[in-house]
Amino acid sequence: MAERPPPRPRPLSLSAVAVLGAIANEIRHGFDIMDATGLPSGTVYPVLGRLERDGYVRARWESPATAQEEKRPPRRYYWVTASGARALASSIEHYRTLGGRFSLGASPEPVPE
Amino acid sequence: MRLVRTASLLVPWSRRQEWLLEWEGELAHRISRLERTGRLDAPAAAAIFTRTLGAFPHALWVLHDETSVETMIHDIRYAIRTHLRRPAFATLVVATLGLGIGANTAMFSIVNSVLIEPLPYERPEELVYLFGAFQGGNTASISPADFVDYRARQTVFSSLAAGTVWGSAVLSGSGEPERVTAAIASANFFATLGVEPLLGRAFLPDEERGYQHDVVILSHGLWQRRFASRPDIVGTTMRIDERPHTVVGVLPPMPDTTFDAQVWRPVAFGAEGWTIRRFHTLRAVGRLAPGVTLTRAQRQLDVIAKQLERVYPENESWKLRLVPYRDIVVGDVGRTLVVLLGAVGLVLLIACGNVASLLLARATARTGEMAVRTSLGASRWRLVRQLLTEGFTLGLTAGAAGLAVAYCLVRGVRAIGAGIVPRLAELGIDQTALVFTFVLSLVTSLVFGLAPALRAARGEVAAALKSLGRVSAGGQRTRQALVISQVAASFVLLIVSGLLIRSFWQLQRVAPGFDPSGVFTAEIVLPPTRFETRAAIDRFWATFTERVRGIPGVESVAATTMLPLRGGGDTYFYVDGRPPASDAEKMNALVSVVTDDYFKTMRMAVKGGRTFTRADRADGPGVMVINEGLARRLFPGGNAVGKRLIVDFGTPFAGEIVGVVNDVRTSGQANPAPDTMYFSLRQPAAGWVFSTRLVARVSGDETAIAPHVRAVLRQLDPDLPLASVESMDEILAGSVRDVRFRARLLSAFAAAALLLAVMGLYAILAHSVTQRTRELGVRMALGARSAEVFRLVTGEGMLLVAAGVALGLALSFAATRLVRGLLFEVSQTDLQVFAVVTVTLLGSGLAACLLPARRATRVPAMDALRSE
Repeated sequence: MAERPPPRPRPLSLSAVAVLGAIANEIRHGFDIMDATGLPSGTVYPVLGRLERDGYVRARWESPATAQEEKRPPRRYYWVTASGARALASSIEHYRTLGGRFSLGASPEPVPE
Repeated sequence: MRLVRTASLLVPWSRRQEWLLEWEGELAHRISRLERTGRLDAPAAAAIFTRTLGAFPHALWVLHDETSVETMIHDIRYAIRTHLRRPAFATLVVATLGLGIGANTAMFSIVNSVLIEPLPYERPEELVYLFGAFQGGNTASISPADFVDYRARQTVFSSLAAGTVWGSAVLSGSGEPERVTAAIASANFFATLGVEPLLGRAFLPDEERGYQHDVVILSHGLWQRRFASRPDIVGTTMRIDERPHTVVGVLPPMPDTTFDAQVWRPVAFGAEGWTIRRFHTLRAVGRLAPGVTLTRAQRQLDVIAKQLERVYPENESWKLRLVPYRDIVVGDVGRTLVVLLGAVGLVLLIACGNVASLLLARATARTGEMAVRTSLGASRWRLVRQLLTEGFTLGLTAGAAGLAVAYCLVRGVRAIGAGIVPRLAELGIDQTALVFTFVLSLVTSLVFGLAPALRAARGEVAAALKSLGRVSAGGQRTRQALVISQVAASFVLLIVSGLLIRSFWQLQRVAPGFDPSGVFTAEIVLPPTRFETRAAIDRFWATFTERVRGIPGVESVAATTMLPLRGGGDTYFYVDGRPPASDAEKMNALVSVVTDDYFKTMRMAVKGGRTFTRADRADGPGVMVINEGLARRLFPGGNAVGKRLIVDFGTPFAGEIVGVVNDVRTSGQANPAPDTMYFSLRQPAAGWVFSTRLVARVSGDETAIAPHVRAVLRQLDPDLPLASVESMDEILAGSVRDVRFRARLLSAFAAAALLLAVMGLYAILAHSVTQRTRELGVRMALGARSAEVFRLVTGEGMLLVAAGVALGLALSFAATRLVRGLLFEVSQTDLQVFAVVTVTLLGSGLAACLLPARRATRVPAMDALRSE
């Protein structure tokens, strides 16, 4: 009997990988993520919402004290959970093999992270 | 900023605040940073503006996410897993709610099919029923002559028809002779009701003019049973009351049982005897012309009544009264059903209360879980939504269980309610009821899902985290209020059913005025074609009763035209020499024509004078016997025997009162004994004889003689069937049947209510003891004796029960007013019932307290302290 491969979670979308990757690199606020990924706000926020719903990221409000100091409302910041980190790693792996399989010969460069 | 606020309107309310804060936070941060570094130039502002536009897709995404099937499925799966982790809890909730919903659906199905759904006729709201009545008097039928006049003069009905179930007829010719119920109808009768014959045709206008047309229409049931649904039945001939009749049509099943007959013949307007205006025999049904209201129709009928009054003196004060046809079909059962619906509603409320109490208790226990989840970042809305989903899944499962319960209940009610509740044959769980259950289960689940959800939403996170596992006073109070209202509701139910049960007992204790045990009865209809004269009828009965007396075990035999508890016909009379000066003085009484041994056979008491003997000959002076109540009313203080009454049998009959007998409850156990006049079968001018009942007093089993009586009859006249074989005990039981039906159903509901309330009380006390383990343990450790702890817990419970009883007492005075009309010789504030119910509830409450209280006394101090 052939051994079945362990069930692999569905890979995240490319924009989710980008957003999750940004948060993993300690870019924690909505607008900063947009700056880092170059994705528009209409994409980043829904992706954040989905990631949060699926438990890959968690959100918190920054302490009111900090906000008060700068005389502005508090910001919401995100961080990656353990399952988020796993999903990110396996998705990157997935896209990497995919990139390898479809390398068009002309440019066998590795897919940038 | 304004853009973001506009976009936020798209975001569901539950998430809007958070959503807005995040956007505002980011924007404010970005702008203040640019300002600080002095880089807030036009391109930067444009970039921010573009980015702000993204708020719209974001808002739309949230909206979509919030309502997405995926999220819902996720919630539902989580809810089901939660329920499966606590199967006992889920089962308890589903069972409690299922019972409540099931009972409600069943009752709703009944009420719906009997009361709410329109009659299964075409445009049923147009159908009206016409009663004949003296000014302000009781209701009666209409004479054929009057009917013809009304029909000719009226303009408010598109069609006015008459018909009546006219005793019975003997069907013979093919197979065994059989007694069938017979009715007569005007030609337009079926068309007025909107009933089309299944085969053949209805009667023709020409056929209502006299007896020359021997045509018959068969009921659906008779056609199926006796004629095996022969398709070629129309045109065949059969003998009815010994005369050949041609079958012209077969009816479909009739929509209701108001006119329930097996053979229909045309009314013979204009035939001899049918012109007497006092001969009120027909029941009229009209279909209002389009746009005509009941009041307008009534006004015209009143005008016609005045016109007729001028022409026919005997019509003085005689009027027709209109009643919607639906009221006739539904009748008095309506109120019973409303009371039952109320009872069932109360049971459901109690069930909901129980479930809410269970869920509240659990919410308290889960406060910790909620607090942890909140602090881990779950939004409040998510928690509320999760709890609501849990409620919904429970409610829906309970709804399904309820539907199953309802199905069984409806079958049961159909079995025991047959003949009591009208239109029961149509009863099923219909679509309306299905929708009703669905809505009910959703509302119920929302109601009980909401309380814990709201508590969670209030999200007193810090407080909750601090008090992990401890009691919240608020929840406790809500649950106490629930228990109090449950006890109050079951108190009301118990009172109402207690009153009905007492009514039932009272009814059974009423002395009917005769001795019903060991009396055999059967009906024999002598066809007028062969028994034309009273002498012939008398001869038949003399021979027949003589032969029946010969059957072993028979002690005494007689015949009567009116059996007690079965009602009968009445007529007008006056005391000789005191004719009525006006209608107001007109008196009437029931008429019973009997053979000599009737009073002896029924074991009635002779209160004065004598009963009939052979000396009262056919050609001798007219004699009669009256009941005690009538004698007292006519001759207060004096002796009725020897006085003469003039009785209206079409022609006046002068009868001397030769005896006075005791009162008999002739028109049902619940009604007072009506005035009755008895006449001798031998005297031809006294009363009408259509169908006659044999009554035989038997030593031993009265039903066992039926075959012997049948054999005797066959010997005497093979063409006469013996019908309606019943014992007097059965008839007596039948007369209290609907009271028993009500009492039984309500008792079942009251028992369910009591059980649920006791369960609720037990649950809250048990929970409270668990929650107070620490406190109780400390008390014990500090030297409190078990007896004191026991008293403490019991006292807490009994305080709730007492409050519930007090509330129930107050509510009962209002509730019992609703059932006053259903009570019989029981005051609506019957002390005994109130006392018994109070004691029962206090006793059951105490029983519910005992177990938790005992457990409380067993709390080891160490355990209690450790549970901290």
